[in-house]
Amino acid sequence: MPRDNRSDDEAMTRRRYVAGAGTVAAAGLAGCSGGGGGGSSDGESSGSDTEDGGSSETGGDDTGGTALEIVHWWTAGGEQDAYQALLDGFREAHPDVEVVDNPAPGGAGSAIDTVIQNRVIDGEPPSTFQIWPGQALTPYTDEGLLEPIGESVWDDEMRAAYLDGVLDLAQPAGNLVAVPINIHRLNNLFYNVSVLEDAGVDPTTIDGPQGLLEAMETVAAETDATPMAHQTQAPWSSLQLWESVFLGQTGVDPYQTLLEGDVASFEDEVRSALDTMAAYAEYFPEDAGSISWDQGNNDVIAGDAAFLHQGDWAAGQYGSAEDFAFGEDWDMVPFPGTDGVYHSVIDSFVFPTNNPSPEATEAFLNYAGSVDAQERFNPIKGSIPPRTDVPMDAFGDFLSRQFEDFQNSDAQPPTIAHGTGVAPAIQSSLSETFANFNGSLDVDQAYRGIRDAF
Amino acid sequence: MSSPSSAAPHRGDSDDAPDEQGGSEPATRTDGGAVVDGADEPAVATGQTKPSWLARVQQSSFLESLPFWGPPGLLVLLFVYGAIAWNFVISLTGWEGLGAPDYSSLSAEMYARLLSDPSFYAAFRNTLVLLVAFTALSLVVGLLVAILLDQQIRFENTVRTIYLLPMSLSFVVTAIFWSWMYNPRIGLVNEVLRSLGLGGLTQAWLSDPQFKLGAIVFALMWQFSGYCMVVYLAGLRAIPDAQYEAARIDGASTIRLYWRVIVPQLRASTMSAAVVLVVFALKAFDFLFVLFGVNPGESADILSVMMYRVAFDRIQWAYGSAVAMVLFAMALGVIGPYLFVQYRRGEL
Repeated sequence: MPRDNRSDDEAMTRRRYVAGAGTVAAAGLAGCSGGGGGGSSDGESSGSDTEDGGSSETGGDDTGGTALEIVHWWTAGGEQDAYQALLDGFREAHPDVEVVDNPAPGGAGSAIDTVIQNRVIDGEPPSTFQIWPGQALTPYTDEGLLEPIGESVWDDEMRAAYLDGVLDLAQPAGNLVAVPINIHRLNNLFYNVSVLEDAGVDPTTIDGPQGLLEAMETVAAETDATPMAHQTQAPWSSLQLWESVFLGQTGVDPYQTLLEGDVASFEDEVRSALDTMAAYAEYFPEDAGSISWDQGNNDVIAGDAAFLHQGDWAAGQYGSAEDFAFGEDWDMVPFPGTDGVYHSVIDSFVFPTNNPSPEATEAFLNYAGSVDAQERFNPIKGSIPPRTDVPMDAFGDFLSRQFEDFQNSDAQPPTIAHGTGVAPAIQSSLSETFANFNGSLDVDQAYRGIRDAF
Repeated sequence: MSSPSSAAPHRGDSDDAPDEQGGSEPATRTDGGAVVDGADEPAVATGQTKPSWLARVQQSSFLESLPFWGPPGLLVLLFVYGAIAWNFVISLTGWEGLGAPDYSSLSAEMYARLLSDPSFYAAFRNTLVLLVAFTALSLVVGLLVAILLDQQIRFENTVRTIYLLPMSLSFVVTAIFWSWMYNPRIGLVNEVLRSLGLGGLTQAWLSDPQFKLGAIVFALMWQFSGYCMVVYLAGLRAIPDAQYEAARIDGASTIRLYWRVIVPQLRASTMSAAVVLVVFALKAFDFLFVLFGVNPGESADILSVMMYRVAFDRIQWAYGSAVAMVLFAMALGVIGPYLFVQYRRGEL
């Protein structure tokens, strides 16, 4: 009896199982296709949410092949105004093209990387996006994800207008894939004029990175101001400072060799630059680890700090400060030892493959490479145009001087901290190294980190 | 669509099913009351006389409940467990960059690379320290506050709400809040130390590698000990007053009373609070990301931040997946035993 029963039970459960599974499948299908039921609509909405993270606004704004979708991270203050000025100019030139503006702000460009990478991997890139040229493009060029635009966009007139160093960055794999639109200088040493006068330091006579150390010593001894308004909360400022120190102590050619991965032959020079950095750290603000670079810069404006090493985007803050005039209250010299070097931070636009709007993208890239676009965009952005034939009327004294320096510069080396010099993976490893160095000031460990990063 | 085929077998077993239904239904509804039993009666009766397959399908609680748990179950299977499995497969490839992963050659190379990566060791160690220190501290502080609140103090509700409030804040808010608190120049922590004449103890809490992780643990504890307090308070309230009185009559001191009588009875509260805290510690990503971005430095790096850095900053997807699997194993290592114990005790 029990045995019989059991076999019956078994048969029944098996049948039930099959029937149940069938019903589950049916119910599941019905639920999914219906989309009205509670459970399934939850699932669907969360599914499309995750997709939104990647493909952002294409779903909503998909208007066929004509709309031009631009992904960028210019959402703050002056940057946004500059971008709007660029768009206004483009709309005037091409009133027929609908522009879909799709900002991906945050993390100094790291948020946009995530968005773009996901979309490119999914085969749904935007029409064009903002990216650093040079080595930052290599993940895309390695997989052939950027259309060569040497023929369609880069005509002879445009090529002639760009300096060679910049042109090289637009062709990391040998063919032109990017249109640089602006250039920031990185090797700047900004200073508060009156603080240096109080300390009796003449910034124009500082001799090399070691000389800067002595100047900061004097500032610390003679005034109450912080000698250098550096931030160590995020590692990029220290990384770019180290680049400038290395350039100032060792020169451009060794720096270029270093970028190609040959760290070992410059071991002493790399260590020496790190030693100098470690010595500088004594003159950083007490709260360097808790502030952002612009908070540090406020101290320069307020007269509480003497020097700031930063890209020339820092000058935008001086422009908006009250009673803080260029030449009288603040000024800038090239980082000691780097005269004649225009250490370049560049933004560019590219033409991804699988492009949703090839014609509009081409029109936009052509426009981005024009005098009109760069004349509208750069004065507001606080950068100089990569084209050497842009009139300087709207740029103000400081940028005009920078532009002159640029045209007279001997070298325009790329930067590590801002992507043009090394591939993203190396850049990230170096950032990690300098995050550790900011805390420990351990030269040996930092050297190992730099060596292993390449 | 499967209904005609499923009809036949059901009709064949017409004898057993109604009995089973009739027997099991009331048993599962022990507190359902008379109304429910009454409602079931006619259905069982018809089933015994002439059960149509439709009626049987309607009665079966398995099938009845299926539309409710079936689709979400499938979705969870696909999007949670399927995603974990896929993540594991990716961790066995060498996927880097923006191309497609190559599933043809799978190897454990990424896990070998983990073992030779000093930043993985640092992140793993920090994750463990964070896990243990944060959980233990939060439990201890939460218990002490709960015992204090259990003494029928005045403004108990107000204090309880104030103390629980931080938990309702997002990590983003508390991270920024604490970055101000810890500011070495103007932060409250150093200001208080200075005003107490302890200026020598002031530190650059969030930049000095010695104190970084400790400062983070303290901030997280501030946020989550309120949760422990609530869990413990509920546990304390469940203990009958008689036990306190009995212990008093036996002459136990307060410390002895709590240590020997009350705290041992709070094991269930401790377990459930600890599991939640551990999971929060593993997910402390937001807090660190807001404070330091992708590079907290080796003294505060944890696995979840490392995972993000490797995958999205370096585009080394396979390596990031391997880190994620380690994180998953750690979470499983905490939750698995907990579920097992609960299951053994019949609480699941």
